[in-house]
Parts: sequence; C-alpha cells; structure tokens
Amino acid sequence: MDRQLYEPVHGAFREAVRQFLGKEVVPHHEQWLERGNIDKRMFRKAGEQGLLCVSAAEQFGGTGVADFRYNCVLNEEIQAAGVTSSGLCMTLHNDICFPYFQRLANDEQRERWMPGLVDGSLMSAIAMTEPSIGSDLASMSSSAKDDGDAYIVNGSKTFITNGINADLVIVAVKTDPTQRHKGMSLLVIEEGMEGFERGRNLDKIGLKSQDTAELFFSNVRVPKSNLLGQEGEGFLNLVKHLPQERLSIAVTAVAHCRWAFEETLRYVKERDAFGQPIGKFQNSQFVLATLKTEIEIGQVFIDRQIEALNEGSLTAEDAAMGKWWVTELQQRVMDRCLQLHGGYGYMTEYPISRAWADSRIQTIYGGTTEVMKMIIGKSLGL
Amino acid sequence: MKILVCIKQILDPDMPARDFKVNAETKEAERGGANLVTNIFCENALETALQIKEKTSGKVTALSYGTDDTEDSLRKALAMTVDEAALILREGDSNPDAEAVAKVLAAAITKLGEFDLILMGRESGDWGVGQTGGLLAEELGLPSLAFVDSIEANDGTLTMRRQTDSGTETATVTGPALALITNNEFNVPRIPKTRDVMMSYRKPLEKFSLADIGLSAEDVSGSSFYEVTDLSIPTKDVQCEFVEGDSIDEKIGVLASKIQPVVAANS
Ligand SMILES: Cc1cc2nc3c(=O)[nH]c(=O)nc-3n(C[C@H](O)[C@H](O)[C@H](O)COP(=O)(O)OP(=O)(O)OC[C@H]3O[C@@H](n4cnc5c(N)ncnc54)[C@H](O)[C@@H]3O)c2cc1C
Repeated sequence: MDRQLYEPVHGAFREAVRQFLGKEVVPHHEQWLERGNIDKRMFRKAGEQGLLCVSAAEQFGGTGVADFRYNCVLNEEIQAAGVTSSGLCMTLHNDICFPYFQRLANDEQRERWMPGLVDGSLMSAIAMTEPSIGSDLASMSSSAKDDGDAYIVNGSKTFITNGINADLVIVAVKTDPTQRHKGMSLLVIEEGMEGFERGRNLDKIGLKSQDTAELFFSNVRVPKSNLLGQEGEGFLNLVKHLPQERLSIAVTAVAHCRWAFEETLRYVKERDAFGQPIGKFQNSQFVLATLKTEIEIGQVFIDRQIEALNEGSLTAEDAAMGKWWVTELQQRVMDRCLQLHGGYGYMTEYPISRAWADSRIQTIYGGTTEVMKMIIGKSLGL
Repeated sequence: MKILVCIKQILDPDMPARDFKVNAETKEAERGGANLVTNIFCENALETALQIKEKTSGKVTALSYGTDDTEDSLRKALAMTVDEAALILREGDSNPDAEAVAKVLAAAITKLGEFDLILMGRESGDWGVGQTGGLLAEELGLPSLAFVDSIEANDGTLTMRRQTDSGTETATVTGPALALITNNEFNVPRIPKTRDVMMSYRKPLEKFSLADIGLSAEDVSGSSFYEVTDLSIPTKDVQCEFVEGDSIDEKIGVLASKIQPVVAANS
C-alpha cells in the first residue's frame, strides 16, 4: 500500500541519506562486522552531513525542525541498505539519547554539548541496565552520593549500546538509595572522567559491528552541572522518553522486515528446485503472502504511531503495543525468510542470516515483549 | 558571476538490468518502478557551477525542460545550494530531439535574463545523443567548448580545461560562454545536507509553459532531424571455450591464434 506519511521533502532527504550510506557505510560494513566496531569517523561525517539530531536548534547547527519523520527516514534507509548493525549508533544517538538532552538540558549544558551532539564530535549512549537488573529498573543500585558540588558515582552498567565509542553517557543512578523510583536521577558521565572505565566489547550473536559494553564507575566525581533534569526525577524522565525509544525500535523492525522480504522475494525467483523457481511452490507463495500482509499491517500501525508522536499524543501503552507486535513480527519474518533460503540462509555470506541474528535482540532491548504486555495490561486497569 | 546550468531528468541508469524494459511501439524505455534521477553529467555541471560560485560569489540558476516530475531534480539542485530554479513544462513530443530542446532552452534563457556562463552535461545517460549543448550555443550565438572537466574564473576570464583523446587542452574565454561538462575527481556532485534539503522547498522554483517563453508545441515538434526506427535491448551471447594443448607453450600459441583475428577486427 502507498504510504501517506511522508511529504516530498522527506523523499528528497531519503535520497541524500541513501547516497550518504552508499558512500560512507555500505562499502565498509563487512570490514566493520569483522572487527566488531565501526570507524567512528563515519559518525562524524554523518554529523557534517546533517544526519544527527536534526531537530536541534539552528544556533547549535541543527535545523530547529521537530519532525520525527526525518529520524525514521534515516532508520529505514539503514535497514534498506542492509547495514542495521553499522547504522544503529546513529539511530540510538538521534532517537533515544538526544531527546534527553533536547528536553532536559539547561542552557549551560546545551551550550556545552549540543554543538558536538549535532556535528558528531560527541557520540552519546544511555545506561540503565545493570548486571543484576534489567526489566526491573527501579531496583538498580548504581549510586551517586552527594559531595558538595559533585556526586561520587559507584556501580556498573551492562549491555550498553555505543558503550565503547560514546563520549557522553547518560547514566541512571540512585541519588537516594532508600527510594525505588523516586530515588533515581540521570547524570551525564563523560569520556575521560577519573574512575570511569569501559569493559570489553561484548561478543554478541548479532549486531556484530555495533559496540555493546559494560561500564564501570569507581568513585567517579561527576560535577553537579552534569545532572540532567532534576534530582529524583530520573525514573519519571526515563518513562517519559521510552515511547519514542520503543517507536524507534518498531520503525527499525518494520523497515528490516521489508528489506528481508525483498531479499527473499528476489531469491525465490532465482533459485530453482524440482525444475522450477522455489517461488512457484504454493507453500512459498502462501508464506510470502502472509508475511507481506502482516508487514503492511505493521507498517500502517507504526506510521500512525509516528504521526501520533509528532502530534505529542503517543501514549506509553500505544508504543508498547507497537513495539511488541512488530518486533515479534520481525522474528517471524526473519525466520520464514531464512527458511526460504534453505541452507544458504544459514551461511553468514548470505545477508538474511545476519539479519536473522541482528533482529533477535529486538524483542528484548527497549523493554521485553513481556514487559510491553505488562504495560498494556496495567493500562487496562488489571 | 551569473551561471545557468541546464539539467535533464532521466530514468535511473542504475536500475537493475532485469527491470529495464523498452516499449517497441512507442520506441521508448518504460518507466516501470524505476526512479527518475538527474543525469550524472548534469550533476557534475551543477557541482562545477557551485564551486565557481563559492570561489567568486554570484548566483547559480538551474533550468530544465521536463514534466512535473522534473521538479524533484530541480529541488535537488536547490538542495545542492543552487539559488533558483526554473522548469519549462514539456508539451507535445515526450522525447523531443536535441534541436527542439535547444530551442526551448534558448527561449527560456532569454526570458530568464543574462548569464556569464552556461553549463550543461556532456551528454545524457539515457539516449546519449550529446548534441543539445552545441545546438544551444548556436541558438544563443555563444562560443562553446565540449568535454570540459574544470573551469577557473578570474576577473571575468574563464579558463576551461577540456579532455581530449590525447590529453587535455586549456582555453580561455571572456564570457558569456557555454561549456559541456564531463566528470572528473573534483566535480563529484555533493550530497545535499539536511538543512539544505529542507531549504530547497522554500526556494523559488518557477514553472513556465511553452507559451510563457514565446513558443508553441508546433515550434518544438515535428521537425526532428532523425527518426528512431527500432529500439531493443541487446541480447548478450556469452561463449566459453577451453584452450587445449599438451604444453603451456602450445596453449599460449592456440590462445594467441584465437585472439589475433579479434584484435585485428577491432583495431
Ligand atoms: C545488544 C543489547 C543492547 C542493549 N542496549 C542497552 C542500552 O543501550 N542501554 C541499556 O540500559 N540497556 C541496554 N540493553 C539491556 C536491555 O534493555 C535488557 O537486556 C532488557 O531490558 C532485559 O533486561 P535483562 O536482560 O536484565 O532481562 P531480565 O529482566 O532478567 O528478564 C529475563 C526474562 O524475564 C522476563 N521477565 C522479567 N520480568 C518479568 C515480569 N515481571 N513478568 C514476566 N516476565 C518477566 C523478561 O521478559 C525476559 O524474558 C541492551 C541489551 C542488549 C542485549
């Protein structure tokens, strides 16, 4: 179906994004997968190209245009180019981390960080998860003790996307360990602060060129001027921003499904078995017809959510519904598409195998499918 | 300096070969699901113009003869930081010949004002006729140079370097003049920046009918100096033959005897 979401200007932006990815990401993607990390200069170039933090104020190098559709175009094109893993650093920075700076930073912090976030000289990450807690965020224990004009931070975080490359990390800490939700605050911890160490780049089954790391904080002195938002409002702020984070993951999911579908459609037309292309078997047709239908349904749902986000009306439960449904769809799509590739689908040289592995995390991070259903359940008064 | 760049929108030459189809009836390529893009040499011309503007100051105007779809190519030119754009809406023949296009462009340029330099791509990636630039120069009574890969502008003098089979030639000219641009490593078209993409939709883009520039559909059709009698996709015939022989020398000898007639036929 024709998508109604975008205007001609987004189409022009899409072409520029496609050209950028074709020049700066696609040719290096394989090499980055091998070495387990991107070349950070690409991120800087993305900044120079104007692909980072598009909605930032003009005085900081942005456009001042608050329209999430630009973020979505970049996200969709990353999937369409088959570079999910190398592009995630940009979507995480734009869709997930930047909104915290945009909405919570005070004037002094804006002056200090915005230009770098926009031009790509500062890459961001967000650290909530700890080795002993993930879904149950309020039980986290990284602590920030008041020490005059600074906090002394101790603890560790894990599974942090951009964990190796990030220059600024938004870290969820307990400024009041006696409280659960109300004791949480957000601190920006910077590369080079004494006592802030990164662990190894974690070995994952997918997203091979995306750095994911543990972070360790040992008596890190973080000036109070790095407190993002108000003390004690960390949880509230996380909850406020999670719908956009979840929508970003959902946008990735549908775009990734579309890419996998096209790859597979091409494959089943080219590969023969029993004297005919495998796409001619009724089973292949039924599988692809089902997937195509479900992808279209997912697209319409998510397109409406993008509009709702732009209108400021996307609720936590709507975002939860979108996130769980399309990321679970993504699992089915990848699995069925890999199946249609037969043994070749299991070989890493076939992009579908990587896509299958890359997609597996999608029902887990940003809140698991189970947690999404809990949110929806709660909204039903249950 | 006031520079005008003529650009043409064509079917994406990078579309997968299996999707490329021609209509034997109309003797034209079929659009199908392919994108329309700006001809690459026209983008090299745009890049050349923008670099001159950035070094010297002035204004760059983009002009095209096309359909409403061509607005996308002109918007892209604006996003590359061209200052203004004009579109002459095509009437009549959907694949007008070079002479007709030159006539339209000449009338449009006269309407748009005076320019010190007019740039075009060396040829278009669809039909590759490569005649429009020369004919336009003739219409406008301007000196022209083809296969130009770089232009330096100094105090009203333009120094143009053109590629030839045996090397390069350099010519100087005081404008106005017309140049047909070919690609080199320095005129790779820039990728429009996000802010410029947004701005491109706020910049002026004027649309004119043929009547607006003093022409009629009859003026630009029916006078074609050539006729397309047939259009088809060449079928590729690949043959593979293993060279036999007991020793390596013998194999080389057999191979050489097979290659020689081919080389002779092509030299
Ligand atoms: C590649 C990758 C990147 C990541 N990036 C980041 C990042 O940038 N920043 C960050 O902070 N975190 C990040 N994470 C962490 C991620 O958000 C967590 O892994 C996720 O929230 C789940 O937490 P957990 O792993 O502790 O699982 P657990 O919370 O231990 O959950 C285990 C299982 O129990 C289920 N479960 C838990 N509670 C309930 C319940 N009440 N009812 C029913 N089922 C339940 C879960 O759904 C899940 O199936 C990343 C993880 C990965 C793998």
